[in-house]
Amino acid sequence: MTKINLAAYWASSCGGCDIAIVELGEHLLELAQVADIVFWPAATDHKYADIEAMADGFVDVTLFNGAIRTEEDAHIAHLLRRKSKLLIAFGSCAMEGCVPGLSNIQGPDHALRRAALEAPSNDNPQGVLPQGRYAMPEGDLTLPRLCKTLRTLEQVTTVDYALPGCPPNYDQVWKALQAIIAGELPAKGSLLGVDPRTVCDQCPRTRQGKLRVSAFRRPHEVIADPEQCFLEQGLVCTGPATHAGCGALCVKANMPCRGCYGPPEGVVDQGAALLNAIVASCDGQSDADIRRVVSTIVDPLGTFYRFGLANSLLQGARLGATAGDACAAQTHQEEAR
Amino acid sequence: MIAARELDLRLADEIMAEPGGEHLLTCWSCGTCAATCLVRRFNPAFNPRRILHQAGLGLRQQVLSSAEIWQCSACDACYPRCPQQIHISQVMQAIRNVALREGYQAPGPCAQVEAATCSGCAVCTRACPYKAIERVTQRMDGQERAVAYVDGNLCQRCGICVAVCPSRAIRLEEFNDSELLTRIGADGWLERPGWLQGGAEAPRILALVCQWSIRSEVEWAGLQALQSDALRLVNLPCSGRVDPAMILLALNQSADGVLVVGCREGECHYQRGTYLGRGKVMLLREMMAALGLPPERVRFAELGALDRDALRPLVAQFRQCLTEVLTVALRGMP
Repeated sequence: MTKINLAAYWASSCGGCDIAIVELGEHLLELAQVADIVFWPAATDHKYADIEAMADGFVDVTLFNGAIRTEEDAHIAHLLRRKSKLLIAFGSCAMEGCVPGLSNIQGPDHALRRAALEAPSNDNPQGVLPQGRYAMPEGDLTLPRLCKTLRTLEQVTTVDYALPGCPPNYDQVWKALQAIIAGELPAKGSLLGVDPRTVCDQCPRTRQGKLRVSAFRRPHEVIADPEQCFLEQGLVCTGPATHAGCGALCVKANMPCRGCYGPPEGVVDQGAALLNAIVASCDGQSDADIRRVVSTIVDPLGTFYRFGLANSLLQGARLGATAGDACAAQTHQEEAR
Repeated sequence: MIAARELDLRLADEIMAEPGGEHLLTCWSCGTCAATCLVRRFNPAFNPRRILHQAGLGLRQQVLSSAEIWQCSACDACYPRCPQQIHISQVMQAIRNVALREGYQAPGPCAQVEAATCSGCAVCTRACPYKAIERVTQRMDGQERAVAYVDGNLCQRCGICVAVCPSRAIRLEEFNDSELLTRIGADGWLERPGWLQGGAEAPRILALVCQWSIRSEVEWAGLQALQSDALRLVNLPCSGRVDPAMILLALNQSADGVLVVGCREGECHYQRGTYLGRGKVMLLREMMAALGLPPERVRFAELGALDRDALRPLVAQFRQCLTEVLTVALRGMP
């Protein structure tokens, strides 16, 4: 039996998605029997030159994690697209922008300043910001520049499948890999490694069903009841608007769902779906009541769009060139280079 | 003329034995309820005073088989005004209970849950103003699952559950996402360029209007003349049916602004629908502002039950505001 060629890449990500692959544990040995890993910067010592040397379509499957934030990310995304038969957006960052996508609220300059100057842990008395190019006696040093907008993989190039999660649950990763190896893949564009319906379907908590919320609180402000629905306790839980697949992991650890598996099937905008669900849970029979309850939600933008801002309808509604148009223009330039 | 032998005096007793029906016979037939009734403004055939009177008289067949007993939406506008303090919506519920026992049913269609898509998250059961949705256990694909179930006899077709279902598992004829989108995008309205995109003379507005805030069919028909490339009017069963995703979709495509029109405080046909509608718009605007989008592009406006021809000036004012705000915003663009 011929082995398949497997690649994995990290763009703008935290490394958790690579850990999710490592977490396969002894399944990695089974994987090694049917697949050759031809590129995986987190674990192997291949260089960019190695991919460039490959024939187009040489890689059977690429698991691409991380969002497209720098010119380097975009360059490798295009390169891997050319070299791969199947390109899979692996994890929330590649699929929908995830937490790094929240930097689109203030833009890359703010992110740089915050990271290099303002963060309390910084020791940067001269206030140096990272530069794209820096002249050293030994020669010029370069860093990839930040793009104006952080993009999802799909906003940069064609993607065949997406595997959600921050990070994807290793059980689901193994299930997806088995389907790939067996050649039993669903229609292109589908999600891999998910279960039907939403997190609530897998959540073991009891829901009274009629209990409305008179004030929202944050997880650090209360000790949550381990048996009762978080929403009914006044904690924002994104379970109702989140695709099932994780097995309700956070909920079982007594933390409300954060929404990393993205919107359920047929839903475009996870934040809008959550907004609906949260407002409907508010108690009160007057305008002032609802206003008061709604105003107890801290940072609705960051809470409802924690994972999906970069490919949301909300971001798309920005003025002037919409996010999609800007991305298209950027992508066009990148491809031309 | 009423023939005395057709009167069934047991009917009043049966209704009064139901919870909420106790005060049926204390009605003076003064008609204050009919004068304040929000349903009646829309449908003159509906008259709570007459229904109570007929029920008290014992016109069994006539009362129990009438479509009107199902039309009271328990907005309770009459309750604080009734000199006898009769909670008429509860009396109506008592009459319905008797009707149900006799085999009558609410005229459809009510909201329907697609069990295979439903996760039983209970968002709809909390949202429903009428507590018409329960979670029931169903056996599906070899496992027991809790899914939502709508009691058709309690459902008032406000569409609030359709909007809030995060899995899009609830359907309501005429007001499904697909049907609303068809009405919004009819004649390629969403495909034509907006004012911001440089393709229109004036800001293009999508107005999502609660069907009860426009009180009569005549007035609604008159509004159709307002429809133009610059204004798309689409009716919702209640402003609580508004879905922020739909607002955002319109803004993404080519609408320059979205106006959501609901009822004034205390005049919501569906108890709390208008509060949910304005709560959603309020949160959406907060998020838009946080993201640097002019929140003025989305507005919630209210129409009072006694307002006549008020939509036209509302739209004109909104268009004026959009023109000003967006001109400034465009100037600030790189």
